[in-house]
Amino acid sequence: MCNNNHTVGLFLLVGALALTGVPAAQAAPNTFNTALPVPQGETIWREQLVLRERSDGGPMDREVSVQALGSVLGYGITSKLAVFGVVPYFFNKALDVTTPMGRIERDTGGIGDVSLFGRYTVYQDDFTGGTFRVAPIFGLTAPTGDSDDRDRFGELPRPLQVGDGAWDGFGGVVATYQTLQYQMDAQLLYRENGRHDGFAHGDETRLDASLQYRIWPFSLKGISGTPGFTYALLESSLVHRERNEIDGGTDANSGGTQWLLAPGVQYITRRWVVEGTVQLPVAEDPNGDAIQDDYIVRVGFRRNF
Amino acid sequence: MFKKWFLMLAALVFSVAALAADKHYVLGVDGLACPFCAYGIEKRLNKVDGVTGVEVDVGKSTVRVTLQEGKPFSEERARQAVEEAGFTLRSYSEVEGETGGSDVQ
Repeated sequence: MCNNNHTVGLFLLVGALALTGVPAAQAAPNTFNTALPVPQGETIWREQLVLRERSDGGPMDREVSVQALGSVLGYGITSKLAVFGVVPYFFNKALDVTTPMGRIERDTGGIGDVSLFGRYTVYQDDFTGGTFRVAPIFGLTAPTGDSDDRDRFGELPRPLQVGDGAWDGFGGVVATYQTLQYQMDAQLLYRENGRHDGFAHGDETRLDASLQYRIWPFSLKGISGTPGFTYALLESSLVHRERNEIDGGTDANSGGTQWLLAPGVQYITRRWVVEGTVQLPVAEDPNGDAIQDDYIVRVGFRRNF
Repeated sequence: MFKKWFLMLAALVFSVAALAADKHYVLGVDGLACPFCAYGIEKRLNKVDGVTGVEVDVGKSTVRVTLQEGKPFSEERARQAVEEAGFTLRSYSEVEGETGGSDVQ
């Protein structure tokens, strides 16, 4: 019975669709969420530095460079229900673009749109040395970021603003299969972006998966207590974005589909997780000359309180 | 006379030490498979009245709990603390001395 459950769980996980762009403060994937628990009454803190480079293939040769810090606090209301708050801070968000005036740069920064979401464990199968869990997540993103910043050329393009000025909603499901040797996570997430002042980011659907394999210590035989684990990671993100809406129409050069792979490493102790990954595009199908990711570097830590 | 008093004092010291001896429990915990998760169990169990020590062996999926003598630690209380941490209590046993309790599967 137990083994059957594990087999079914593994099968469901491997076949599952998954992900969110809102990583939670938990041991596990670096680029998205996990279903592992936050203990009741306990808090987990996470910081993640993100360096993101994007570009298009069009005549304007747009290049977007982002340096941001994502701060996350997670709190266990019960052992099954956890809430998370995510505050993005943009050190710089810059656009280089070719115009009739020549090559120009426009940039902005500051606190972005803050997200709050909850996660509830609806299925939990614990066994000796492992677990399988499934947890839906639902959340909102508030328009806390500046959405009308300007520079000497006028108001910045809406997609460049650190906030979109609208309330956004997102929901999905995350599944985790964890053993002492490895862990797999998968997440399916849909984000519906609100409209503000005639603009809306295209809605987004993400399917993410992650494999973390313990590479050190090689074996736990003869090791007692709680040693630190080092994991090698490989994460996959399939992201589809609809076209942005502008003034009642759509931007033909926005949105599309992209598949990213992210190798990485993670060191986990009782109180700390230190991690880093590089997301690289392996396939893409942009709409028109839509900007797509070139690479995303993520480094950070998580801490148990 | 001096020898008699010395023996009485020694007996008293040993008695007090015996009365103050800690009690040890070993819990089998299912669902535990990484160091970061182990800390949550430590924190929940450390909040139980009388607990003076919690040692997690993640490889064996066991938790050794030390309590002050005279403090209660029922299986239900252990289950509650483990479940609050998000895991499942597999086994519960009181063990003697500083070793033992390895057979908790």
